[in-house]
Amino acid sequence: MSRIVVVTSGKGGVGKTTTSAAFATGLAMRGYKTAVIDFDVGLRNLDLIMGCERRVVYDFVNVINGEASLKQALIRDKRTENLYILPASQTRDKDALTKEGVGQIISDLCADGFDFVVCDSPAGIERGAHMAMYFADDAVVVTNPEVSSVRDSDRILGLLQSKTQKAEQGEIVREHLLITRYSPDRVQAGEMLGMEDILEILAVPLIGVIPESQSVLQASNSGTPVILDKESDAGKAYDDFVRRFLGETVPHRFLEVEKKGFLKRLFG
Amino acid sequence: MSAESVEIKGEMAMLSVLQLASPDAAQIHQGLQARRDSLPALFAGSPLVVDCHLLGSDCGKLDMQQLRASISELGFIPVGIRNLADDCVEQAVKAGWAILRGGRPAVASSRIEKPAPKEANPSGKSIEVIDRPVRSGQQVYFPDGDIVVLQHTSAGSEILAGGSVHVYGSLRGRVLAGIQGDTSARIFCQKLEAELVAIAGNYRLLDDIDTDLKGQPAMVWLEGEKLKIAPMF
Ligand SMILES: Nc1ncnc2c1ncn2[C@@H]1O[C@H](COP(=O)(O)OP(=O)(O)O)[C@@H](O)[C@H]1O
Ligand SMILES: [Mg+2]
Repeated sequence: MSRIVVVTSGKGGVGKTTTSAAFATGLAMRGYKTAVIDFDVGLRNLDLIMGCERRVVYDFVNVINGEASLKQALIRDKRTENLYILPASQTRDKDALTKEGVGQIISDLCADGFDFVVCDSPAGIERGAHMAMYFADDAVVVTNPEVSSVRDSDRILGLLQSKTQKAEQGEIVREHLLITRYSPDRVQAGEMLGMEDILEILAVPLIGVIPESQSVLQASNSGTPVILDKESDAGKAYDDFVRRFLGETVPHRFLEVEKKGFLKRLFG
Repeated sequence: MSAESVEIKGEMAMLSVLQLASPDAAQIHQGLQARRDSLPALFAGSPLVVDCHLLGSDCGKLDMQQLRASISELGFIPVGIRNLADDCVEQAVKAGWAILRGGRPAVASSRIEKPAPKEANPSGKSIEVIDRPVRSGQQVYFPDGDIVVLQHTSAGSEILAGGSVHVYGSLRGRVLAGIQGDTSARIFCQKLEAELVAIAGNYRLLDDIDTDLKGQPAMVWLEGEKLKIAPMF
């Protein structure tokens, strides 16, 4: 049985694609056969973050339209075994995503023996986001510590329990809250919502807190999922998150303000 | 037909938005009247924003003067208009409309419960229990009786009950009890942080002025025309 996981948020730029890349890589590293699908048709960038943009020949929409087989379109990751990427189309629009088409691809992936299918949702609450969540068993709801992001996540949580296949069948999509771009300094300074406040508003189980970190930008510029950067705090936090998702109990870290020395303060 | 030509949606800004699907004045009037008559207590005297994004270039066919007149005549307050095609702005301004910033097109709020017509309530149940949080953009609508929410309700959500409303978590959205005119309906909550409370159409916006009640277990009820809010313990 494959598990379909949507990474979603409502708001754009909060770290969904960064999270999808890290998450899928982390699952594959642990031996699970994993596919990660970019649902951001028209604005693809998962392939960039995964560093496989030059190897994109066919995309998600080609497969839906029968112009390519799923096998032809899936890109096998060069670094991590068991990991496959289904890129989005750069040239089509979101209407190309049909429920039948997406459903077919997901059931083909299941039949192909994939353990996990990670769906990287576009921003918003329209077609692309709806299609990304529709077949989900689990949802990782990505939130930044700011009011508008939390509000949008709340909205998405409502849609997850009303506009998905699971909801239509009277079942529940499992919800996991992932707080990203968390900056303890700014929380302490009162410039950002604290973790407790976010949990109080959303009332969803917390699966991880990813700190704001330079290493994320470096990783995405070099086309390497940040989870492979084992030295960085963001990489470590993503690794903790994957372990929790797989059922391990792992304490949360990077929640406290770090006491930095002079040099560290200069160079992060 | 006429009821389909317009639709009213609650939005977070606590203004109702009138979504126009046709520029025809008679259809708009009929449609709005039908909506109002279905929930008179809720809509009485409420401010209304007109949204034209579905009309596109058909905006030109709107009679701006007539639109204002219809809205006022039906007991709403026309606040402003938005998502107008550029070439219609001048005409709207002339007719006295405030032009509002585009705003997100109102996305259909997802109702948790379908409005159940009286005869389609064979269980004759008089209470609706919701065991999940009511999220932003969601609406729970139960005209046949009381609504009990076992968890919190979010800012930007709406609870509409024919009878009373009980919320056993934080109440952060809008909540309207007695929507069909039952003045004995009450609202109870574990933690009052609501944006708006209303009983039988008598409403009150809760903002920072009401800090003494904020976060307290509270009850809301009606004494005559006056809405009372008091801590419960
Ligand atoms: N933990 C983090 N620390 C610093 N920057 C981050 C972090 N997570 C994401 N970013 C940056 O935020 C931007 C948006 O991230 P992305 O994953 O593309 O968001 P989304 O897919 O939600 O639009 C990118 O520039 C990314 O590098
Ligand atoms: Mg993205």
